[in-house]
Amino acid sequence: MSERIANLVIVGGGTAGWLAACVLAARRPELAITLVEAPDIPTIGVGEGSWPTLRETLRMIGIAEQEFLLACDASFKQGSRFDGWTTGAADDSYLHPFTPPPLGNMGQLLDAWREAAPGLDFAGAMTAQAAACAHGLAPRQRAMPDFAGAVNYGYHLDAGKFAALLRCHATNRLGVIHLSDRVVTVRGTPQRIESIELAERGMLEGDFFLDCSGSRAILIQNHCGSDWIDRSDVSPNNSALAVQVPVEPGSPIASQTIGTAHQAGWLWDIALPTRRGIGCVYASRFLDDDDAERILRQYIAEKVPGSDSLSLVPRKLSFPTGYRERFWQGNCLAVGQSAGFIEPLEASAIVMIELSVRALAENFPASFATLPIHAERFNALFTYRWERIVDFLKLHYALSQREEPYWLAQRDPARMPQRLANQLALWREQPPSPWDFPQVDEVFSAASQQYVLYGMGFPVPSPRPARETSDAMARLSEVRERARGIAAALPTNRAYFDALAQSPTATLQGELARS
Amino acid sequence: MSNHQILNSAEHGELRIHTHADAAFGDAAMAALVVPTEFRSVQGEYPIVFKRDAASDRFSALALFGFENGENLFLADGEWGTDYRPLSMAIQPFLVGRPASGQGEGQVHIDMDHPRISSTGEGTRVFDEFGKPTPFLERIAELLGALHQGYELSADFFAALDRHELLEPFTLEVPLSDGSRNTLYGFHIIDEEKLRALDADALGDLHSEGHLMPIFMALASLSQFSGLIARKEARIAGG
Repeated sequence: MSERIANLVIVGGGTAGWLAACVLAARRPELAITLVEAPDIPTIGVGEGSWPTLRETLRMIGIAEQEFLLACDASFKQGSRFDGWTTGAADDSYLHPFTPPPLGNMGQLLDAWREAAPGLDFAGAMTAQAAACAHGLAPRQRAMPDFAGAVNYGYHLDAGKFAALLRCHATNRLGVIHLSDRVVTVRGTPQRIESIELAERGMLEGDFFLDCSGSRAILIQNHCGSDWIDRSDVSPNNSALAVQVPVEPGSPIASQTIGTAHQAGWLWDIALPTRRGIGCVYASRFLDDDDAERILRQYIAEKVPGSDSLSLVPRKLSFPTGYRERFWQGNCLAVGQSAGFIEPLEASAIVMIELSVRALAENFPASFATLPIHAERFNALFTYRWERIVDFLKLHYALSQREEPYWLAQRDPARMPQRLANQLALWREQPPSPWDFPQVDEVFSAASQQYVLYGMGFPVPSPRPARETSDAMARLSEVRERARGIAAALPTNRAYFDALAQSPTATLQGELARS
Repeated sequence: MSNHQILNSAEHGELRIHTHADAAFGDAAMAALVVPTEFRSVQGEYPIVFKRDAASDRFSALALFGFENGENLFLADGEWGTDYRPLSMAIQPFLVGRPASGQGEGQVHIDMDHPRISSTGEGTRVFDEFGKPTPFLERIAELLGALHQGYELSADFFAALDRHELLEPFTLEVPLSDGSRNTLYGFHIIDEEKLRALDADALGDLHSEGHLMPIFMALASLSQFSGLIARKEARIAGG
């Protein structure tokens, strides 16, 4: 084996494996990359919401936006809407949009909001994106260049089709070698994997290994012995019932993920052009499977016109909550669910894959000698990131006023992360700011915290006497003007995707797929 | 054929207009009408020439985009490659209309057969969900007002050019690098000799009537021919 790290072996396909393969092949063309995918393991098929970061990732690996949208049956995601999280009342709803509030002092903006538009919710006052979401509008016009938008956006997508597109792109255009085979044994020490033994092909050597094998964690846990740090003490949801509901042609496509709280968890609702992915997330300690299914079916009957709820067969998923003690050990790095998973709220799965692979690609070890230094840095950074996800997801529950036993347990002070408790104490006196989130590429920025906090009615710090608000007033009035312009200029999502399906690109792609 | 209607929120509440540049939306035009009040903006991008309408024997002013019918050298890949589009292009598919009586305020009319009328749900809305004009329509109304005002002042302007015999016939032969030859004929331009020869009284009159500035702007615009020829050459070179 050479002392240069030249051969990369990825164990596991799915979104994690194939996205890692594409990014590393595009960023590190000098690497020889082989991906081993077991032929009989289905993709889990959650993680169907992305962040805006995926636009840059797709551009960087060289997939055109139209090709992606058509191949993955994708739609645009402009944020998340939370229904029923604060009180559970009929009008209880707030938006966490991807476009941040106007630049400037948040204290002044909050004062201006209260002074000028007390009737408008926080997101509606702070960004024109709220108007686009309220009307089911696309974030862009088709005439715009790829990946450009009038407002910030990510995607909803079919995870199975996404993995297939990435596989095709990686093998056909980026030179990644694909082996459809099963890992039988792993050879080497916990600090240095030498090779893996495959059922069909035999021995496969490698210099560096990515564990993208999902919850099986073949390399990082079974071989390297990196333990799972369980965070179900803070985040009790551990089950989901998922179903895909076909929609009628011409029906509106929502601009955001809709998360609706129920007595012991919440429901996701993700609109694609041809179907809606709907799931009921719950804590099995508080709700049994039958009740979860009843809640799911009731939601579908109420929210999806023309659906035949009885013909749908939900799929049960159980998920661990936590992350690896060491994501990177020796010459092995865990990416995807093998590295960590906290419930699907706020769709952090794909973005954590992107962040992990970017950190690796931009700091790829040139030699075996520096591996421990890279590992230590990576592990510190990603432990911080997973903990911030735990905190931010908990924030959604911490501010609720619901009274069911599950919700009371979610607010139990003994199960509140200390850092979050401290921040909530600070935020009674000053709004969230970059001082609270000082790292590079914080997973959830101060803006995200603000949208959840003030969306859920957290008290606004009292105005300081003599604080000047005229600048902030002008910013908010620009938001209102921009909202009018955006509402006029953007097509509905349905109009966008129907026109896209009729476009020459769609026809060409269909022909290529048949040939 | 055109199908002009008076714009109103009851009938056109859901109407959307394609706003980006495209040959399919009627932008593949060799020239567009311009009014003297916009000459200052026009001359920064396009040559301004004059044309006599044989039927009415009246002059009008045109901004040139190309050398032959249907050729717009500023249009490429769905973009109009300059900042300023002449008012008569920018307002499409809207027009200034007159009430049936022929009297009173101008109205906003729309040509419902224009290719910019969207039938796909894409494009920009004219009225919002409450039937109020969108910022797009507010902008169009401003442009229509400017065009209408410019048009009202045009008759005096052309009469003054006529009175002082300031227009001369103009033919331009452009030999191109591929050996072809493009000829523009049937147009007029400002006669620089005659302009120089005007006495102080005549100049004073033209100035006090507000015609002198557009005359010089039209004269200055002729330097844009070199840019237009360069665009033509680039298109030939690019196949």
